[in-house]
Amino acid sequence: MNLAGIAVKNTRRNLFRTVLTVTGVAVAMLAFLLLRTVLSSWTAGVEYSAKDRIATRHKVTFVMWLPRRYVDDIRALDGVKAASWFNWFGAHLPGKEDQFFANIATDPKSFFDIYDEIVVPEDQKQHWLQDRRGAIVGSVLAHQFGWKVGDKVTLEGSIYPGLWEFNIDGIYTATRKSVDQSTFFFDWNYLNESARDSAKEQVGWIITKVPNPAQAAGLVKRIDQLFDNRDIQTLTMSERALNTSFLGMISTMLTAMSMVSVVILLIMMLILGNTIAMGVRERTHEYGVLRAIGFMPKHVSAFVLGEATFIGLFGGCVGVGIAYPLINQGVGRFMEENFTGMFPYFRVAGSDVAIALGLSLLLALVAAAIPAYQASKLHVTDALRRVG
Amino acid sequence: MSDASTTPTSTAANTAANTAVKSGGAAAATLIRLSQVGKTYYRGKEAVEVLKNLDLEMPDGAFEALMGPSGSGKSTLLNLIAGLDNVTSGSIQISGVDLSRMSEGERAKWRSQNVGFIFQTYNLMPVLTAAENVELPLLLTSLPSAERKKRALTALRVVGLEERASHRPDQLSGGQQQRVAIARAIVTDPKIIVADEPTGDLDRASADQILELLVKLNKELGKTIVMVTHDPAAAERASIVRRLDKGQLT
Repeated sequence: MNLAGIAVKNTRRNLFRTVLTVTGVAVAMLAFLLLRTVLSSWTAGVEYSAKDRIATRHKVTFVMWLPRRYVDDIRALDGVKAASWFNWFGAHLPGKEDQFFANIATDPKSFFDIYDEIVVPEDQKQHWLQDRRGAIVGSVLAHQFGWKVGDKVTLEGSIYPGLWEFNIDGIYTATRKSVDQSTFFFDWNYLNESARDSAKEQVGWIITKVPNPAQAAGLVKRIDQLFDNRDIQTLTMSERALNTSFLGMISTMLTAMSMVSVVILLIMMLILGNTIAMGVRERTHEYGVLRAIGFMPKHVSAFVLGEATFIGLFGGCVGVGIAYPLINQGVGRFMEENFTGMFPYFRVAGSDVAIALGLSLLLALVAAAIPAYQASKLHVTDALRRVG
Repeated sequence: MSDASTTPTSTAANTAANTAVKSGGAAAATLIRLSQVGKTYYRGKEAVEVLKNLDLEMPDGAFEALMGPSGSGKSTLLNLIAGLDNVTSGSIQISGVDLSRMSEGERAKWRSQNVGFIFQTYNLMPVLTAAENVELPLLLTSLPSAERKKRALTALRVVGLEERASHRPDQLSGGQQQRVAIARAIVTDPKIIVADEPTGDLDRASADQILELLVKLNKELGKTIVMVTHDPAAAERASIVRRLDKGQLT
C-alpha cells in the first residue's frame, strides 16, 4: 500500500459518481478527438503537401486563367524537373447537382511526372494516354458511383456548359493516405478542343516539380519574375501555401470547430472539478483524521490530486479507447467513402491521442488544484469537527 | 477508583492527584506538563476563552479521564495535549519537549511519532482493509512495505482482530471497528494515546471490551492514556479522573 494506491482506492468510494464522471470525461474526449480528426482531415492536404512541388496561378485570383504557353516557359527554366497544368471543370452528373466531386482537366502525359504518389495500373494508364475522352477516377469515387473501367460517363458542365462524355479508362489509388481518391481527372485536350474560343489554350494553374525541395523557394521567385512584364502576371507559391489558400475559404468554420473543442475540454474540467470538490467536502473530517495522525498538508493535496489524476486519465483512456475503433473502423470509413473530397483520410492521428491524454491529465490537475489547496489548508481541529 | 479532582490551577494539588493513582504505587515521572495554559477562540470579533490559566501534570503511564459538561473545554484540552492545536498562552511540555514552540509541521511530525488517536466514530478509511487502515500511520515512516504489514498485523493481534485483517470497515461491527482504530493508534508504538469519547458510539458490551483493551494497553504496554468521556462507567476504568468546567479544573 502507498499513497497513490490509496488515492486510486478512494475513487471507489462513491462508485456511481466516479463512473458518471469517468463517462463524462470519456464522452468529452471522444467529442474532442472527433473534432480534432475533422480538423486534421481537413488540413491533411496542407500537412502532407509535397515540398518539391510549387503552384503557379493568376496573380489576381485563382479563378482567372493563365495562357497555356506559360507551361512551356516554366519548363524552360533551370531547376525545373517537370511541369503540368490543370483546369477546374466544375461539372456534375446530370440531375445530381448535390453530389459534388472534384473534376479536373489535366495533361495525362505530364500528370504522372508531377504526382508520382498516384498509382494507376500500367495498362489503364496507357489506355488513358491514348484516349482523348478518357478519364481516370479515384477508387473512392468509383466505389461511390459504382464505376468500372470501360464505363461511359456523362457530365454536365457549368463553367464549360454542355454535356461531356467520358470513358473511364482507369481507377487510381494513392501511396499516401492524404491524397484525395475521389477526383475525376480527364484529358485537357478534350476540354480545349471543345471549349469556346475565349477559353481555349487557357489553364487554371500550373504545378512544377523541382529535383530538390531546397530549390523551391528560389524557383518561386524566378517564375514570377519571368512573367512580371507579361500581360498576365503570376503568383507562385508552395503547394502547401496553395492548399492553405483553399482552406482559407473555410477557415472560419475551422476556427469555430477549434473553439468548440476547447469549450468541450472546459466542460470536462468543470465536471471533474465538481466531482473532486464534492469528494473533498465529504471527506473533510477524514482529512482531519489523516492530519491528526501525522500526515502533512502536502499529503492531503497529493490524495486529492492523485484521485483527480486517476479519474481524468482513466476517463481519457476510455474516451480514446472508444474513439479509436469508432472513428478508424466506423465513422472514418464512412467519411472517406462519402465525403472524400473534404476528408480524404479520416483517421485518429497519434498526435491527437497524445494531446487528448495529455490534456486529460493537465485538466484534471487544474480542476483539482483549488480543492486540493483548500483541503491542504484545513486546520486539523476544524476538520475534525466537521461531519460529512 | 480514586477520583483525583483537583483545586483549579493548583500545581501542587495536581501533582498530589497524579500520585494518587489507583495502583497506589510510587510516584511516576511527569510526562505531560501544562503551565498557565490558556486557549481563546474567536467567533468573528468575539473572543471565547475556552481554557483559563490551566496548570496540570500527568504522570507517565497514567490512564486519565477528562470529564465535564459540553463546552467545558475537555476536547480543547485533549487537542492541546495531542499537539493538534496550539495554546494561546502558557506552555505544554511533553517528555520535556515544548509543544507550544513548535510549528504546525513540527507538531505533525511529533504527533506521528508520539501520539495515537482514538475517535468516537472510529474514522477508518472505508476503502481500506483493517490491516491497511492500521498500516496507514506507518506510511509516514521509512519502514519497508513488508515490515509495515508485519507491524500492522501485530497491532491487530494485540486487539484480537488478526483474523479480520482483510475485512473492510463495513464488514466489521462498531466494536471491531473501534478495535481496529486502537490498533492504528498503537502501531507506531506512541507514548501517549488520546481517546475522544472512544465508547460514545458503542453498546455497553462493546464499550466494556474497548475499555478493557485500553486498560490492557495502559497496564501491560505502559501507554499513557488521556480519555475524554461523558460515560461514568468509562471514567471508572481510568486511574485518574479530572473534571473541567468553564475552562478550569474543578
